[in-house]
Amino acid sequence: MLDSLANSEKWLVFVPKIEKYKPNNDFTTMSQESLFPKETSFSLPNDLSGIRAKVIGVGGAGISLVDGLRFDNFESVENLAVDVDNRALSDSIAGEKLSFGRRHTRGMGTGGEHTVAQKAMEEEKDVIRKKLDGVDIVFLLAGLGGGTGGGATPVIARLARDAGAIVFAFVPLPFSWEKGRHKMAEGRLSELRKIANAVVPLPNDSLLQMGGNDATALECFAEAGRYVSKGISAICSMVFCRGMIDVDFVHISKAFNRRAGRTLFGYGQGDGKDALRQAVRELLICPMLHLPNVSKAADVLLIQITGGTGMGMAALQQVSTEIREEFNAGEHVVFGAHVDENMGDRVQITVLGATDLEAGTKVVDVAPIASDIISVIPKSKVAHPSKLKQKKGNPITNENGKKHSSKNNYKLDQNTFSFMDAENQRGIFGDLPSRNIYAGEDLDVPSYLRRGVKIGI
Amino acid sequence: MSKIIGAVEIGTSKAKALIGEVSPSGSVHVVGMATRLNEGMRKGEIVDFRKAADAVHSALADAEKMSGTTVDEVYLAQTGSYLKGRMLRGSASVSSSDNRVSASDLQRASEEAKRRQPDNGRTYVHHIRTPILLDGRIVQDPVGMIGSKIDLGYWSIDGDDQAIKQALHVISNYSLDVKDLILSSIASSTMMAGPDLRRAGTLVIDMGAGVTDFALYRQGFVAYTGVIPVGGDHLTGDLSMGLRILEPYAEKLKIEHGKATFDPMEEGDDVWIIGNKTIGDRAIPRKAITDVIHVRIVELFEIICKELEGLLDPDELKGGVLLTGGASLLPGVEQVASKILGLSVRRASFPSGIASELAQPENATVLGLLHYGLEDHSLPGKKKDDADVGFLSKFRKMVGLCAQD
Repeated sequence: MLDSLANSEKWLVFVPKIEKYKPNNDFTTMSQESLFPKETSFSLPNDLSGIRAKVIGVGGAGISLVDGLRFDNFESVENLAVDVDNRALSDSIAGEKLSFGRRHTRGMGTGGEHTVAQKAMEEEKDVIRKKLDGVDIVFLLAGLGGGTGGGATPVIARLARDAGAIVFAFVPLPFSWEKGRHKMAEGRLSELRKIANAVVPLPNDSLLQMGGNDATALECFAEAGRYVSKGISAICSMVFCRGMIDVDFVHISKAFNRRAGRTLFGYGQGDGKDALRQAVRELLICPMLHLPNVSKAADVLLIQITGGTGMGMAALQQVSTEIREEFNAGEHVVFGAHVDENMGDRVQITVLGATDLEAGTKVVDVAPIASDIISVIPKSKVAHPSKLKQKKGNPITNENGKKHSSKNNYKLDQNTFSFMDAENQRGIFGDLPSRNIYAGEDLDVPSYLRRGVKIGI
Repeated sequence: MSKIIGAVEIGTSKAKALIGEVSPSGSVHVVGMATRLNEGMRKGEIVDFRKAADAVHSALADAEKMSGTTVDEVYLAQTGSYLKGRMLRGSASVSSSDNRVSASDLQRASEEAKRRQPDNGRTYVHHIRTPILLDGRIVQDPVGMIGSKIDLGYWSIDGDDQAIKQALHVISNYSLDVKDLILSSIASSTMMAGPDLRRAGTLVIDMGAGVTDFALYRQGFVAYTGVIPVGGDHLTGDLSMGLRILEPYAEKLKIEHGKATFDPMEEGDDVWIIGNKTIGDRAIPRKAITDVIHVRIVELFEIICKELEGLLDPDELKGGVLLTGGASLLPGVEQVASKILGLSVRRASFPSGIASELAQPENATVLGLLHYGLEDHSLPGKKKDDADVGFLSKFRKMVGLCAQD
């Protein structure tokens, strides 16, 4: 409740500014009709909107992601690197740097203790609060298996939300064979999901599947960095550039004004005559969409298409319908299309979706007992997620002042969303209420992911 | 006068019903058999009762129609990761003054062994007798022999009450009685491994769609059974995720192109997902398919190996390892298994006399149910009584059945 208050206040601040540019754009009409806007304009920098976006890298993995960010068309995103480790900070090329926790760690690392970083960050929250002042979109990049990333990230996310920003987090997770770290990271992940608006996990297990068939581990990580760049630049270009089909900060802020739950994130690009089709094809096999803990359905879906001047309206409409169906997105779709002369024949599609944290059944995680297969049926299972809760906590379903969406949503909840649980990592067995834990490993997760075997397709 | 007897296996991918006619000479004729796809089950456990029941009921109805008879008692196969086996032991000192073992001594030892109750909320599914020891020596039938102490054991499998009740309900909803619950691995292993093999020592692995059952025999008796909740469905799931394709296509690729080991000759070979090269079709390297399957199969046998730690002595398992079940049709699976288990592995073949259309690995369990059900498993010395009672009661039922017809 507090969160949504904070955000509605935010809208009061920003709505007038945005209306200067787009007086007719109302979120509730963002569906088929709005594919044909009254005026079509080409993208131009729109820094006048006064909207500030900041990328914050927390801890070693986060900072190296920030350093690796490459944006195609704009420079208006600020970078901030945060760490307890002074040496790591000094190597970073981020625009701003913040070291904290000197009292606890004397400028050295946390040694993987997330509690240390969490405590230090809590103590020094005023410093980071200053850095968050006036920022509207925060992108958090942090490896949740590390001490600093795991400990400080949820704190920063909370401070950012308190300051009224929307928070997107891209978080690498350790390999599943790093058992202790992996477990801790999962705990931090569910913590972060309760705070951030959207959390995109990047499990190392799955990152190994990225890149070309003979890509090395480093190349795979670099590939993952490129995906993060694409995600951030898709959101930013929506906000900062005027598009053929325009989306602004309020759309995004409304769409993601919820607790994160499960997020899906994918990217595809095409080239040449059949670019759009090729981009869709690549999007649908994007490795990020086929991680074991990504569901293929979304409560809210953001689709961003960037292409050259030759991009056709009819094709765009077809593509948007196709993607919408693919992700069972229903009506809560934010669709943006941008024309960039530099793109030539190329087309890029980025999708970012989120589902509600409350939806779906709870998978019971069984305490692993060595060399014993356990399969437990949960005692209580939420077959019908509370509708009351959803309506209260979720302004999206209440747009238009009607309750029209509740019916559709719950039909989907029953069929599609039942397997979208925060702890679900099990692909086609995800909808089952029991887990197969054998010697600490979940046998329903594909072996090739757990064993780090790269499948070249 | 012949008897009619039924067998039902509620499998993860298919429900199977079998009706056999047992002639007075003891030979069985399969007179009806039907298979139905079962969508109500995952990994050996019923997740949708109605769907599972529908599949079983229509399979039973079809089998009855085919045979032109009705059954009123069936043997039911049990599997699922909720089953747990352990060895129960009992002993008794020989009571008679001349130290001759009597049937009642055996009975006392057996009662002592079975006295131990399963944990709360669990029920015994199946007791499988292991050898009888008379003063430490294995004997087939000690009754009448001289000695002072009898030891015997049961490999006993207990399972979750709820899960067992659910399976029983599926049958009772069809107004049938369950004559006996039989462990799937025991059923398929009695079918595929004859008495000679079991005496030599053998491991039978039944690779189903949802679970993999295995039973290890030493000196003719069951020494260990287990269920690993990994089966052919996992291969499909892994392929679907690894190749980023929809599940039906993954299933199709698995059946048409799946292999457990990569053949270097096929390096660079591609296969099409759908095959008609329409939109959405794409070529996938054979190596990718094999890689996904290989890791899973390796892991499966590694788990079996770990479960059977200390029991995989090649000298004790001269019969080697037999593979059966639908997923064992995967080419190359026996080489992988052999490498990991360190034993000779081959695909099990059915004994002669089974019609070729029935002799499919996926039918091993349901055929084994009849086979095992009709074998005599009572304690020595009590044989005759038991058989008589059993036969009379069955006979009475038969008369009732005929009268109805």
